[in-house]
Amino acid sequence: MSRFRPDLSDEPSVRLDGVSLTYDRTGEVLSEIDLVLRQGSFTFLTGPSGAGKSSLLKLLYLAHAPTRGNIRLFGRQTFELKRKQLAAIRRRIGVVFQEFRLLDHLTAFENVALPLRVAGQKQDAYSNEVIDLLRWVGLGERVDAPIPSLSGGEQQRVAIARALINKPDLLIADEPTGNVDPEMARKILRLFAELNKRVGTTILIATHDLELLREFESPVLRLSNGLLVRDVEYGADA
Amino acid sequence: MSRRETPLLPTTDAREAALFFVIGALCFLAALAALTTRGTYKAAEAWGAQIEGDITVVMRDTDRRTAEDAAERVGNLATVFEARILSREEVEALLEPSLGPGGMPDGLPVPMLMVVQADPSVGDPSPDIERILGEVGIDGDVAGNAGYADNVRGALGVLRLVALSIVALLSATAIAVIAFATHAALLARRDIVDVLHLSGAEDRYIAGLFERRFWVLALQAGLGGAVAALMITALIVFTGGGSNSVEIQLLPRLSLDFWDIVILLVTPIAAGLAARIAARLTVLASLKDTL
Repeated sequence: MSRFRPDLSDEPSVRLDGVSLTYDRTGEVLSEIDLVLRQGSFTFLTGPSGAGKSSLLKLLYLAHAPTRGNIRLFGRQTFELKRKQLAAIRRRIGVVFQEFRLLDHLTAFENVALPLRVAGQKQDAYSNEVIDLLRWVGLGERVDAPIPSLSGGEQQRVAIARALINKPDLLIADEPTGNVDPEMARKILRLFAELNKRVGTTILIATHDLELLREFESPVLRLSNGLLVRDVEYGADA
Repeated sequence: MSRRETPLLPTTDAREAALFFVIGALCFLAALAALTTRGTYKAAEAWGAQIEGDITVVMRDTDRRTAEDAAERVGNLATVFEARILSREEVEALLEPSLGPGGMPDGLPVPMLMVVQADPSVGDPSPDIERILGEVGIDGDVAGNAGYADNVRGALGVLRLVALSIVALLSATAIAVIAFATHAALLARRDIVDVLHLSGAEDRYIAGLFERRFWVLALQAGLGGAVAALMITALIVFTGGGSNSVEIQLLPRLSLDFWDIVILLVTPIAAGLAARIAARLTVLASLKDTL
Protein backbone atom coordinates (compact mmCIF):
# COMPACT_ATOMS: atom_id res chain seq x y z
CA MET A 1 0.00 0.00 0.00
CA SER A 2 1.49 3.37 -1.01
CA ARG A 3 1.99 5.90 1.76
CA PHE A 4 1.30 9.59 1.60
CA ARG A 5 4.72 11.28 1.77
CA PRO A 6 4.90 14.81 0.41
CA ASP A 7 8.38 15.91 -0.58
CA LEU A 8 8.78 18.71 1.95
CA SER A 9 12.18 18.14 3.47
CA ASP A 10 12.25 21.52 5.19
CA GLU A 11 8.78 21.16 6.64
CA PRO A 12 8.67 20.38 10.33
CA SER A 13 6.92 17.13 11.25
CA VAL A 14 4.57 19.07 13.50
CA ARG A 15 3.52 22.68 13.45
CA LEU A 16 0.81 24.14 15.65
CA ASP A 17 -0.29 27.74 15.19
CA GLY A 18 -2.57 29.31 17.80
CA VAL A 19 -4.16 25.99 18.67
CA SER A 20 -6.81 25.91 21.38
CA LEU A 21 -8.97 23.04 22.54
CA THR A 22 -12.19 23.36 24.50
CA TYR A 23 -14.20 20.50 25.94
CA ASP A 24 -17.90 20.99 26.59
CA ARG A 25 -17.66 19.89 30.20
CA THR A 26 -14.31 21.22 31.34
CA GLY A 27 -13.92 24.31 29.22
CA GLU A 28 -10.68 25.35 27.54
CA VAL A 29 -7.87 22.87 28.20
CA LEU A 30 -5.33 24.24 25.71
CA SER A 31 -4.85 27.91 24.90
CA GLU A 32 -3.14 29.42 21.87
CA ILE A 33 -0.45 26.76 21.54
CA ASP A 34 2.32 27.47 19.06
CA LEU A 35 4.65 24.55 18.60
CA VAL A 36 7.16 23.30 16.06
CA LEU A 37 8.73 19.84 16.08
CA ARG A 38 11.40 19.55 13.41
CA GLN A 39 11.86 16.28 11.58
CA GLY A 40 14.13 14.04 13.62
CA SER A 41 13.69 15.96 16.87
CA PHE A 42 13.47 14.27 20.25
CA THR A 43 11.37 16.20 22.73
CA PHE A 44 9.90 15.70 26.15
CA LEU A 45 6.60 17.20 27.20
CA THR A 46 6.03 17.65 30.88
CA GLY A 47 3.78 19.46 33.28
CA PRO A 48 1.52 18.77 36.25
CA SER A 49 -1.52 16.52 36.03
CA GLY A 50 -4.39 18.31 34.29
CA ALA A 51 -2.03 20.70 32.50
CA GLY A 52 -3.26 19.45 29.12
CA LYS A 53 -0.46 17.07 28.10
CA SER A 54 -2.76 14.24 27.01
CA SER A 55 -5.07 16.71 25.24
CA LEU A 56 -2.14 18.14 23.29
CA LEU A 57 -1.04 14.63 22.32
CA LYS A 58 -4.60 13.77 21.22
CA LEU A 59 -4.52 16.71 18.85
CA LEU A 60 -1.21 15.49 17.45
CA TYR A 61 -2.31 11.91 16.86
CA LEU A 62 -5.52 13.22 15.29
CA ALA A 63 -7.99 11.95 17.86
CA HIS A 64 -9.55 15.41 18.07
CA ALA A 65 -9.71 18.51 15.95
CA PRO A 66 -8.68 21.76 17.61
CA THR A 67 -11.35 24.26 18.55
CA ARG A 68 -9.21 27.04 17.09
CA GLY A 69 -5.93 27.29 15.25
CA ASN A 70 -4.12 25.20 12.64
CA ILE A 71 -2.25 21.94 12.85
CA ARG A 72 0.20 20.95 10.12
CA LEU A 73 1.52 17.39 10.12
CA PHE A 74 4.25 16.42 7.63
CA GLY A 75 3.57 19.61 5.73
CA ARG A 76 -0.18 19.19 5.39
CA GLN A 77 -2.94 21.24 7.02
CA THR A 78 -4.98 18.58 8.79
CA PHE A 79 -8.30 20.38 8.32
CA GLU A 80 -7.79 20.26 4.56
CA LEU A 81 -7.34 16.51 4.46
CA LYS A 82 -10.01 14.03 3.52
CA ARG A 83 -10.73 11.17 5.91
CA LYS A 84 -8.82 8.68 3.75
CA GLN A 85 -5.80 10.99 3.79
CA LEU A 86 -6.11 11.37 7.57
CA ALA A 87 -5.99 7.58 7.90
CA ALA A 88 -2.82 7.57 5.80
CA ILE A 89 -1.32 10.24 8.09
CA ARG A 90 -2.24 8.21 11.17
CA ARG A 91 -0.29 5.28 9.77
CA ARG A 92 2.80 7.51 9.87
CA ILE A 93 2.24 8.17 13.56
CA GLY A 94 3.01 5.64 16.28
CA VAL A 95 1.21 6.21 19.55
CA VAL A 96 1.87 4.75 22.99
CA PHE A 97 -1.24 5.45 25.00
CA GLN A 98 -1.11 6.01 28.74
CA GLU A 99 -3.86 3.41 29.22
CA PHE A 100 -2.28 1.11 26.55
CA ARG A 101 -5.52 0.62 24.57
CA LEU A 102 -4.77 -2.98 23.70
CA LEU A 103 -7.49 -5.30 22.42
CA ASP A 104 -7.98 -7.91 25.12
CA HIS A 105 -9.28 -10.64 22.85
CA LEU A 106 -6.15 -10.55 20.70
CA THR A 107 -2.72 -11.94 21.54
CA ALA A 108 0.40 -9.85 22.07
CA PHE A 109 1.46 -10.72 18.51
CA GLU A 110 -1.88 -9.66 17.05
CA ASN A 111 -1.96 -6.39 18.98
CA VAL A 112 1.51 -5.45 17.76
CA ALA A 113 0.56 -6.41 14.19
CA LEU A 114 -2.68 -4.43 14.27
CA PRO A 115 -1.47 -1.33 12.34
CA LEU A 116 -0.10 -3.58 9.59
CA ARG A 117 -3.20 -5.76 9.51
CA VAL A 118 -5.60 -2.82 9.15
CA ALA A 119 -3.36 -1.48 6.38
CA GLY A 120 -4.05 -4.69 4.46
CA GLN A 121 -0.68 -6.43 4.86
CA LYS A 122 -0.53 -10.22 4.96
CA GLN A 123 0.70 -11.98 8.07
CA ASP A 124 3.49 -13.79 6.21
CA ALA A 125 5.00 -10.42 5.30
CA TYR A 126 5.21 -9.07 8.85
CA SER A 127 5.34 -12.12 11.11
CA ASN A 128 9.11 -12.17 11.68
CA GLU A 129 9.26 -8.43 12.20
CA VAL A 130 6.57 -8.56 14.88
CA ILE A 131 8.27 -11.43 16.70
CA ASP A 132 11.66 -9.66 16.57
CA LEU A 133 10.15 -6.51 18.04
CA LEU A 134 8.41 -8.46 20.80
CA ARG A 135 11.72 -10.18 21.57
CA TRP A 136 13.41 -6.82 21.75
CA VAL A 137 10.95 -5.49 24.32
CA GLY A 138 11.52 -8.66 26.34
CA LEU A 139 8.35 -10.50 25.41
CA GLY A 140 9.86 -13.20 23.18
CA GLU A 141 8.33 -15.87 25.37
CA ARG A 142 4.89 -14.22 25.46
CA VAL A 143 4.30 -13.74 21.75
CA ASP A 144 1.02 -15.68 21.71
CA ALA A 145 -0.10 -14.71 25.20
CA PRO A 146 -3.56 -13.19 25.55
CA ILE A 147 -3.43 -9.61 26.82
CA PRO A 148 -5.28 -10.23 30.12
CA SER A 149 -2.57 -12.74 31.10
CA LEU A 150 0.16 -10.08 30.85
CA SER A 151 1.25 -7.82 33.69
CA GLY A 152 0.86 -4.03 33.44
CA GLY A 153 4.50 -3.65 32.47
CA GLU A 154 4.24 -6.35 29.83
CA GLN A 155 1.13 -4.74 28.40
CA GLN A 156 2.96 -1.44 28.21
CA ARG A 157 5.76 -3.08 26.25
CA VAL A 158 3.21 -4.59 23.85
CA ALA A 159 1.75 -1.09 23.39
CA ILE A 160 5.23 0.27 22.66
CA ALA A 161 5.93 -2.49 20.15
CA ARG A 162 2.63 -1.72 18.42
CA ALA A 163 3.58 1.95 18.17
CA LEU A 164 6.93 1.07 16.59
CA ILE A 165 5.91 -1.72 14.20
CA ASN A 166 4.95 0.68 11.43
CA LYS A 167 8.37 2.44 11.59
CA PRO A 168 6.52 5.70 12.20
CA ASP A 169 7.79 9.12 11.13
CA LEU A 170 6.38 10.57 14.34
CA LEU A 171 6.25 8.71 17.63
CA ILE A 172 4.01 10.09 20.36
CA ALA A 173 4.19 8.46 23.78
CA ASP A 174 2.04 9.34 26.77
CA GLU A 175 3.84 8.26 29.94
CA PRO A 176 5.48 5.28 28.19
CA THR A 177 7.51 4.28 31.22
CA GLY A 178 4.79 4.63 33.81
CA ASN A 179 4.31 0.91 34.41
CA VAL A 180 7.79 -0.52 33.92
CA ASP A 181 10.76 -0.81 36.23
CA PRO A 182 13.58 1.78 35.95
CA GLU A 183 15.78 -0.58 33.97
CA MET A 184 13.05 -1.26 31.39
CA ALA A 185 12.23 2.46 31.35
CA ARG A 186 15.79 3.28 30.35
CA LYS A 187 15.78 0.48 27.80
CA ILE A 188 12.61 1.80 26.23
CA LEU A 189 13.90 5.36 26.06
CA ARG A 190 17.21 4.15 24.64
CA LEU A 191 15.19 2.39 21.91
CA PHE A 192 13.35 5.62 21.21
CA ALA A 193 16.64 7.49 21.08
CA GLU A 194 18.12 4.89 18.72
CA LEU A 195 15.07 5.12 16.49
CA ASN A 196 15.43 8.88 16.51
CA LYS A 197 19.09 8.79 15.56
CA ARG A 198 19.14 5.94 13.06
CA VAL A 199 15.81 6.38 11.28
CA GLY A 200 15.18 10.05 12.01
CA THR A 201 11.86 9.43 13.69
CA THR A 202 10.45 12.55 15.33
CA ILE A 203 9.69 11.72 18.93
CA LEU A 204 7.52 13.46 21.53
CA ILE A 205 7.26 11.90 24.96
CA ALA A 206 4.99 13.11 27.73
CA THR A 207 6.38 12.14 31.10
CA HIS A 208 6.47 12.97 34.79
CA ASP A 209 9.79 11.22 35.28
CA LEU A 210 12.22 14.05 36.00
CA GLU A 211 15.14 11.64 36.42
CA LEU A 212 14.71 10.43 32.86
CA LEU A 213 14.46 14.03 31.64
CA ARG A 214 17.81 14.80 33.22
CA GLU A 215 19.39 11.61 31.91
CA PHE A 216 18.43 12.13 28.27
CA GLU A 217 19.17 15.84 28.08
CA SER A 218 16.65 16.48 25.36
CA PRO A 219 14.59 19.65 25.00
CA VAL A 220 11.63 19.86 27.31
CA LEU A 221 8.30 21.55 26.69
CA ARG A 222 6.28 22.44 29.77
CA LEU A 223 2.54 22.80 29.87
CA SER A 224 0.80 24.61 32.67
CA ASN A 225 -2.94 25.26 32.80
CA GLY A 226 -3.27 24.71 29.08
CA LEU A 227 -0.47 27.11 28.22
CA LEU A 228 2.83 26.11 26.67
CA VAL A 229 5.24 27.96 28.93
CA ARG A 230 8.35 26.99 27.06
CA ASP A 231 8.51 26.39 23.36
CA VAL A 232 11.92 25.92 21.95
CA GLU A 233 12.35 25.39 18.26
CA TYR A 234 15.00 22.81 17.73
CA GLY A 235 15.67 19.65 15.88
CA ALA A 236 17.81 20.77 12.98
CA ASP A 237 20.80 19.81 15.05
CA ALA A 238 19.10 17.21 17.22
CA MET B 1 4.36 -20.81 10.09
CA SER B 2 1.30 -18.57 9.90
CA ARG B 3 -0.74 -18.03 13.02
CA ARG B 4 -4.50 -18.39 12.94
CA GLU B 5 -5.81 -14.81 12.85
CA THR B 6 -8.27 -13.95 15.60
CA PRO B 7 -11.17 -11.85 14.28
CA LEU B 8 -10.68 -8.18 15.12
CA LEU B 9 -14.07 -8.15 16.84
CA PRO B 10 -14.51 -10.51 19.82
CA THR B 11 -16.52 -13.58 18.85
CA THR B 12 -18.35 -13.96 22.16
CA ASP B 13 -20.04 -11.21 24.06
CA ALA B 14 -22.93 -11.36 26.53
CA ARG B 15 -24.37 -8.16 25.06
CA GLU B 16 -24.59 -9.85 21.68
CA ALA B 17 -26.38 -12.83 23.21
CA ALA B 18 -29.11 -10.43 24.32
CA LEU B 19 -29.18 -8.84 20.87
CA PHE B 20 -29.40 -12.31 19.31
CA PHE B 21 -32.43 -13.11 21.46
CA VAL B 22 -34.15 -9.79 20.68
CA ILE B 23 -33.68 -10.20 16.93
CA GLY B 24 -34.76 -13.85 17.02
CA ALA B 25 -37.92 -13.07 18.99
CA LEU B 26 -38.85 -10.13 16.75
CA CYS B 27 -38.30 -12.17 13.60
CA PHE B 28 -40.45 -14.95 15.06
CA LEU B 29 -43.29 -12.48 15.71
CA ALA B 30 -42.90 -10.73 12.36
CA ALA B 31 -42.83 -14.00 10.41
CA LEU B 32 -45.82 -15.36 12.29
CA ALA B 33 -47.71 -12.10 11.73
CA ALA B 34 -46.90 -12.19 8.02
CA LEU B 35 -48.00 -15.82 7.70
CA THR B 36 -51.18 -15.11 9.66
CA THR B 37 -51.94 -12.09 7.49
CA ARG B 38 -51.54 -14.18 4.38
CA GLY B 39 -53.77 -16.82 5.96
CA THR B 40 -56.33 -14.13 6.74
CA TYR B 41 -56.26 -13.01 3.11
CA LYS B 42 -56.79 -16.55 1.90
CA ALA B 43 -59.58 -17.24 4.41
CA ALA B 44 -61.31 -13.96 3.55
CA GLU B 45 -61.05 -14.72 -0.14
CA ALA B 46 -62.44 -18.23 0.24
CA TRP B 47 -65.17 -17.16 2.63
CA GLY B 48 -66.21 -14.25 0.43
CA ALA B 49 -66.33 -16.42 -2.69
CA GLN B 50 -68.38 -19.04 -0.87
CA ILE B 51 -70.92 -16.54 0.46
CA GLU B 52 -71.30 -14.82 -2.87
CA GLY B 53 -71.68 -18.14 -4.69
CA ASP B 54 -74.22 -19.78 -2.36
CA ILE B 55 -77.84 -19.60 -3.55
CA THR B 56 -80.80 -21.28 -1.86
CA VAL B 57 -84.02 -21.97 -3.74
CA VAL B 58 -87.20 -22.58 -1.71
CA MET B 59 -89.75 -24.56 -3.71
CA ARG B 60 -93.39 -24.80 -2.62
CA ASP B 61 -96.10 -27.31 -3.54
CA THR B 62 -93.98 -29.56 -5.68
CA ASP B 63 -92.88 -33.16 -5.68
CA ARG B 64 -89.30 -34.36 -5.35
CA ARG B 65 -89.07 -35.61 -8.97
CA THR B 66 -89.98 -32.19 -10.46
CA ALA B 67 -87.61 -30.52 -8.04
CA GLU B 68 -84.74 -32.82 -9.04
CA ASP B 69 -85.51 -32.16 -12.71
CA ALA B 70 -85.21 -28.44 -12.02
CA ALA B 71 -81.95 -29.00 -10.08
CA GLU B 72 -80.49 -30.91 -13.02
CA ARG B 73 -81.31 -28.08 -15.43
CA VAL B 74 -79.92 -25.47 -13.02
CA GLY B 75 -76.78 -27.57 -12.61
CA ASN B 76 -76.24 -27.40 -16.37
CA LEU B 77 -76.05 -23.62 -16.37
CA ALA B 78 -72.59 -22.28 -17.25
CA THR B 79 -72.53 -20.09 -14.15
CA VAL B 80 -73.29 -22.97 -11.76
CA PHE B 81 -70.87 -25.51 -10.29
CA GLU B 82 -73.44 -27.66 -8.56
CA ALA B 83 -77.18 -27.74 -7.79
CA ARG B 84 -78.88 -30.36 -5.67
CA ILE B 85 -82.04 -30.93 -3.64
CA LEU B 86 -81.51 -31.34 0.10
CA SER B 87 -82.78 -34.56 1.63
CA ARG B 88 -85.39 -34.42 4.42
CA GLU B 89 -82.64 -35.32 6.93
CA GLU B 90 -80.52 -32.38 5.76
CA VAL B 91 -83.49 -30.01 6.04
CA GLU B 92 -84.25 -31.33 9.51
CA ALA B 93 -80.62 -30.75 10.47
CA LEU B 94 -80.91 -27.18 9.27
CA LEU B 95 -84.03 -26.65 11.39
CA GLU B 96 -82.59 -28.40 14.44
CA PRO B 97 -81.16 -25.23 16.04
CA SER B 98 -84.74 -23.79 16.08
CA LEU B 99 -86.80 -26.89 16.82
CA GLY B 100 -84.33 -28.92 18.88
CA PRO B 101 -83.19 -32.50 18.21
CA GLY B 102 -86.12 -34.61 16.95
CA GLY B 103 -88.40 -31.62 17.38
CA MET B 104 -89.74 -31.72 13.83
CA PRO B 105 -93.40 -32.94 13.88
CA ASP B 106 -93.92 -35.90 11.51
CA GLY B 107 -96.75 -34.35 9.56
CA LEU B 108 -95.19 -30.90 9.17
CA PRO B 109 -94.90 -30.00 5.50
CA VAL B 110 -91.29 -29.21 4.71
CA PRO B 111 -90.49 -27.13 1.63
CA MET B 112 -88.08 -28.54 -0.95
CA LEU B 113 -84.76 -26.75 -0.81
CA MET B 114 -82.31 -26.56 -3.66
CA VAL B 115 -78.78 -25.44 -2.86
CA VAL B 116 -76.86 -23.95 -5.74
CA GLN B 117 -73.12 -23.36 -5.73
CA ALA B 118 -72.47 -20.74 -8.39
CA ASP B 119 -69.35 -19.10 -9.71
CA PRO B 120 -69.71 -15.44 -8.61
CA SER B 121 -66.91 -14.35 -10.90
CA VAL B 122 -68.94 -15.30 -14.01
CA GLY B 123 -72.21 -13.65 -13.06
CA ASP B 124 -75.41 -13.94 -11.06
CA PRO B 125 -77.40 -17.04 -12.18
CA SER B 126 -80.58 -16.02 -10.25
CA PRO B 127 -82.57 -14.84 -13.35
CA ASP B 128 -81.76 -18.11 -15.15
CA ILE B 129 -82.82 -20.15 -12.10
CA GLU B 130 -86.13 -18.23 -11.89
CA ARG B 131 -86.67 -18.87 -15.59
CA ILE B 132 -86.07 -22.63 -15.16
CA LEU B 133 -88.43 -22.77 -12.15
CA GLY B 134 -91.13 -21.12 -14.29
CA GLU B 135 -90.52 -23.55 -17.17
CA VAL B 136 -90.93 -26.63 -14.95
CA GLY B 137 -93.90 -25.05 -13.16
CA ILE B 138 -92.47 -24.63 -9.70
CA ASP B 139 -93.53 -21.82 -7.36
CA GLY B 140 -90.30 -20.89 -5.67
CA ASP B 141 -88.07 -18.13 -4.33
CA VAL B 142 -84.42 -17.69 -5.26
CA ALA B 143 -82.50 -16.43 -2.24
CA GLY B 144 -78.98 -15.39 -3.18
CA ASN B 145 -76.45 -13.62 -0.98
CA ALA B 146 -75.84 -10.87 -3.49
CA GLY B 147 -77.95 -8.55 -1.39
CA TYR B 148 -75.47 -8.45 1.41
CA ALA B 149 -72.36 -9.55 -0.54
CA ASP B 150 -71.23 -5.91 -0.73
CA ASN B 151 -71.42 -5.68 3.05
CA VAL B 152 -69.45 -8.93 3.34
CA ARG B 153 -66.87 -7.66 0.84
CA GLY B 154 -66.54 -4.43 2.83
CA ALA B 155 -66.09 -6.29 6.10
CA LEU B 156 -63.48 -8.61 4.55
CA GLY B 157 -61.66 -5.59 3.11
CA VAL B 158 -61.45 -4.05 6.58
CA LEU B 159 -60.24 -7.39 7.96
CA ARG B 160 -57.50 -7.54 5.32
CA LEU B 161 -56.51 -3.93 5.98
CA VAL B 162 -56.26 -4.54 9.72
CA ALA B 163 -54.17 -7.67 9.18
CA LEU B 164 -51.90 -5.86 6.74
CA SER B 165 -51.54 -2.90 9.12
CA ILE B 166 -50.58 -5.23 11.96
CA VAL B 167 -47.88 -6.95 9.90
CA ALA B 168 -46.59 -3.61 8.58
CA LEU B 169 -46.49 -2.13 12.08
CA LEU B 170 -44.81 -5.21 13.54
CA SER B 171 -42.25 -5.34 10.72
CA ALA B 172 -41.45 -1.65 11.10
CA THR B 173 -41.16 -2.06 14.88
CA ALA B 174 -38.93 -5.10 14.43
CA ILE B 175 -36.63 -3.23 12.05
CA ALA B 176 -36.51 -0.18 14.34
CA VAL B 177 -35.78 -2.26 17.45
CA ILE B 178 -33.12 -4.29 15.62
CA ALA B 179 -31.49 -1.08 14.42
CA PHE B 180 -31.63 0.45 17.90
CA ALA B 181 -30.33 -2.70 19.62
CA THR B 182 -27.52 -2.96 17.08
CA HIS B 183 -26.67 0.69 17.68
CA ALA B 184 -26.57 0.11 21.46
CA ALA B 185 -24.46 -3.05 21.15
CA LEU B 186 -22.06 -1.25 18.88
CA LEU B 187 -21.63 1.76 21.12
CA ALA B 188 -20.38 -0.67 23.76
CA ARG B 189 -17.58 -1.51 21.31
CA ARG B 190 -16.50 2.09 20.95
CA ASP B 191 -13.10 1.20 22.41
CA ILE B 192 -12.38 -1.15 19.52
CA VAL B 193 -13.52 1.42 16.98
CA ASP B 194 -11.13 3.95 18.54
CA VAL B 195 -8.14 1.60 18.57
CA LEU B 196 -8.68 0.58 14.95
CA HIS B 197 -9.20 4.21 13.96
CA LEU B 198 -6.03 5.38 15.67
CA SER B 199 -4.11 2.44 14.20
CA GLY B 200 -4.76 3.94 10.78
CA ALA B 201 -7.76 1.89 9.66
CA GLU B 202 -9.97 3.70 7.18
CA ASP B 203 -13.60 4.39 8.09
CA ARG B 204 -14.79 1.96 5.42
CA TYR B 205 -12.61 -0.83 6.82
CA ILE B 206 -13.92 -0.37 10.38
CA ALA B 207 -17.54 -0.05 9.23
CA GLY B 208 -17.10 -3.18 7.11
CA LEU B 209 -15.96 -5.21 10.12
CA PHE B 210 -19.01 -4.27 12.15
CA GLU B 211 -21.38 -4.54 9.20
CA ARG B 212 -20.30 -8.12 8.48
CA ARG B 213 -20.44 -9.04 12.15
CA PHE B 214 -23.96 -7.72 12.77
CA TRP B 215 -25.23 -8.96 9.39
CA VAL B 216 -24.23 -12.54 10.28
CA LEU B 217 -25.54 -12.22 13.84
CA ALA B 218 -28.93 -10.87 12.72
CA LEU B 219 -29.14 -13.38 9.89
CA GLN B 220 -28.57 -16.28 12.30
CA ALA B 221 -30.97 -14.88 14.89
CA GLY B 222 -33.57 -14.13 12.22
CA LEU B 223 -33.22 -17.63 10.85
CA GLY B 224 -33.82 -19.00 14.34
CA GLY B 225 -36.96 -16.86 14.67
CA ALA B 226 -38.19 -17.90 11.21
CA VAL B 227 -37.62 -21.59 11.98
CA ALA B 228 -39.59 -21.20 15.22
CA ALA B 229 -42.42 -19.55 13.25
CA LEU B 230 -42.25 -22.38 10.71
CA MET B 231 -42.57 -24.98 13.47
CA ILE B 232 -45.56 -23.22 15.06
CA THR B 233 -47.25 -22.87 11.66
CA ALA B 234 -46.57 -26.52 10.82
CA LEU B 235 -48.04 -27.52 14.17
CA ILE B 236 -51.21 -25.50 13.49
CA VAL B 237 -51.50 -26.77 9.90
CA PHE B 238 -51.03 -30.43 10.80
CA THR B 239 -53.15 -30.45 13.95
CA GLY B 240 -56.11 -28.20 13.14
CA GLY B 241 -55.72 -26.68 9.73
CA GLY B 242 -57.53 -29.49 7.92
CA SER B 243 -60.84 -29.11 9.71
CA ASN B 244 -63.72 -27.77 7.67
CA SER B 245 -65.93 -26.75 10.56
CA VAL B 246 -67.58 -23.35 10.24
CA GLU B 247 -65.51 -21.95 13.15
CA ILE B 248 -62.22 -23.00 11.56
CA GLN B 249 -63.28 -21.59 8.18
CA LEU B 250 -63.55 -18.15 9.73
CA LEU B 251 -59.99 -18.33 11.12
CA PRO B 252 -56.85 -17.45 9.11
CA ARG B 253 -55.98 -20.34 6.81
CA LEU B 254 -52.37 -21.15 7.65
CA SER B 255 -50.52 -23.19 5.10
CA LEU B 256 -46.97 -23.84 4.04
CA ASP B 257 -46.86 -23.15 0.34
CA PHE B 258 -44.21 -21.44 -1.79
CA TRP B 259 -45.04 -17.88 -0.72
CA ASP B 260 -45.06 -18.84 2.96
CA ILE B 261 -41.55 -20.22 2.55
CA VAL B 262 -40.58 -16.98 0.79
CA ILE B 263 -41.88 -15.02 3.81
CA LEU B 264 -39.84 -17.21 6.16
CA LEU B 265 -36.70 -16.71 4.05
CA VAL B 266 -37.14 -12.95 3.62
CA THR B 267 -37.62 -12.34 7.37
CA PRO B 268 -34.00 -13.10 8.44
CA ILE B 269 -32.61 -11.31 5.39
CA ALA B 270 -34.60 -8.18 6.31
CA ALA B 271 -33.33 -8.45 9.89
CA GLY B 272 -29.76 -8.87 8.65
CA LEU B 273 -30.03 -5.86 6.38
CA ALA B 274 -31.51 -3.72 9.18
CA ALA B 275 -28.66 -4.68 11.52
CA ARG B 276 -26.08 -4.18 8.79
CA ILE B 277 -27.29 -0.73 7.85
CA ALA B 278 -27.60 0.27 11.52
CA ALA B 279 -24.04 -0.94 12.17
CA ARG B 280 -22.68 1.03 9.23
CA LEU B 281 -24.49 4.24 10.15
CA THR B 282 -23.50 3.93 13.82
CA VAL B 283 -19.81 3.35 13.09
CA LEU B 284 -19.62 6.14 10.54
CA ALA B 285 -21.48 8.51 12.88
CA SER B 286 -19.18 7.69 15.79
CA LEU B 287 -16.12 8.17 13.57
CA LYS B 288 -17.48 11.52 12.44
CA ASP B 289 -17.03 12.65 16.05
CA THR B 290 -13.32 12.13 15.65
CA LEU B 291 -11.02 13.85 13.27
